[in-house]
Amino acid sequence: MSIEAAVLPTQYEPPGTADFWIPLIGDGAWAFTRASLLALVSVGLIWWWLHATTKKKALVPSMGQMGTEAVYGFVRNGIAKDLIGSKEFLKFVPLLFSLFVFILVNNLFGVVPPFQNPTMGRIGFPIALTLVVFVVYHWVGIKKHGFVGYWKSLVPAGLPKAMVPAIFFLELITDMFTRPVTLALRLFGNMFAGHIMMILFITGGWYMLNSGGILPIFGGVTWIMTFVMTLFELLVEVLQAYVFTLLAALYIGGAVADEH
Amino acid sequence: MTGNIAILGYGLSAIGPGIGVGLIFAAYINGVARQPEARGMLQPIAFLGMAIAEALAIFGIALAFVFKS
Amino acid sequence: MHALTFPAAGDGSGWGSLPPIIPHPLELIFGLVTFAVIYWVVKQKIMPRLEEIYAERAAAIEGGINKAEEAQAQAQAALQEYQAQLTEARAEASRIREDAKAQGAQIIAEMKQQAASEATRITDTAHKQIEAERQQALVSLRNDVGRISTDLASRIVGESLHDETRQRGIVDRFLAELESGDVVREKVGAVEGEDS
Repeated sequence: MSIEAAVLPTQYEPPGTADFWIPLIGDGAWAFTRASLLALVSVGLIWWWLHATTKKKALVPSMGQMGTEAVYGFVRNGIAKDLIGSKEFLKFVPLLFSLFVFILVNNLFGVVPPFQNPTMGRIGFPIALTLVVFVVYHWVGIKKHGFVGYWKSLVPAGLPKAMVPAIFFLELITDMFTRPVTLALRLFGNMFAGHIMMILFITGGWYMLNSGGILPIFGGVTWIMTFVMTLFELLVEVLQAYVFTLLAALYIGGAVADEH
Repeated sequence: MTGNIAILGYGLSAIGPGIGVGLIFAAYINGVARQPEARGMLQPIAFLGMAIAEALAIFGIALAFVFKS
Repeated sequence: MHALTFPAAGDGSGWGSLPPIIPHPLELIFGLVTFAVIYWVVKQKIMPRLEEIYAERAAAIEGGINKAEEAQAQAQAALQEYQAQLTEARAEASRIREDAKAQGAQIIAEMKQQAASEATRITDTAHKQIEAERQQALVSLRNDVGRISTDLASRIVGESLHDETRQRGIVDRFLAELESGDVVREKVGAVEGEDS
């Protein structure tokens, strides 16, 4: 598709799901996409940043170290310690911290030039992260309570006998289906929808600016609104990274808890 | 008028969670206003509640795409 | 600005027109691999460092707090000790005062008693002395009176009555008679005759 067609469209074409399909090398199921490239870039960035800011291990931190420590302390004490309990939270901190940082950076790619494409807007990535969380919280639960004990621990103790199968069934659906699906779809949905909104505002504004009559005025207003939307997107991106990590910690905490 | 009826379904599914999330944060704001020191304790609960209420809207958007074609 | 370049939906690849909730296999694998790398880095390198910093800082802060607490405890102990000493000193002072009072009273009583006994003793001694002097005076008087009387009598009768034994007997007898009040005039001759 040429630039000219987009700059001077005869008819406005609203953004769709196809805008997220940007193969760089190859095509089809094994194409190397833009989102994959961004994920690789994010790994490099995170690695470099974490390494550079914690290299000195200064007791009086520099700005960068202070930032890393703030994020780490937030995940460690604000999420992991609160939701898993101070007894065994420490071994899950690397997982939660990695999740938070990885999601945060990839989400921020959605608004930060020159990336401007949320990696998590492609559902493969949220599903990958959710798979990790899913496997981890079932694994630690089974390891802690034993295979039978873990499934037993899904049903709260002291329930009337007649209700046990129904509750067990509900809990099983929650554990095996609702939790992972919502976890992945929440992150994906927020990033996807937010980004589509931004494309809509920008392309719509561009279309109106290039139209005749009074439409360019609306186009200008739309582009100002885009700025506001960008700030809102920033908020949502940080919030979703937080929520994903929070829920992962909650599921793990529930699996290792003594009383379910 | 052209379009997809599945989007209407998503619109409907977003009503309930919208109200729910609003209620949750209203309660959260109330709680923090009354007892500012309880913020740290209420925050995870509020976001947790939001996440659970939001799940319905997420199902909505997912199913809208599933039944689109 | 990819937002301005739409690849048209369904341009042959197929993936662009699929619903977006179908995961792309390579992206899924990429997600797993990239996350694994991040996790490995965090777990192996970053977290030990951050925990070390965290522990160090906690130790530094805790050390400061401990030090302050220690100093406070010391001050508290010193204050308590000082107060204990003060109380003790006060108690001792009052005890000493009481002791002194009691001792003073005792001394006064002793003194009184001593003075009384001294007075008694002096009086007694005086009495005894007076008695002794009286006896002495009596004895010497008796001797003198005897001697004078005999002298007088010998002068009168002209005869020496200086013979010791005789004299004493006469004088004693006389004095005894004098004391008993039945003095009888006796004949010197009879006495002399009887003696000789």
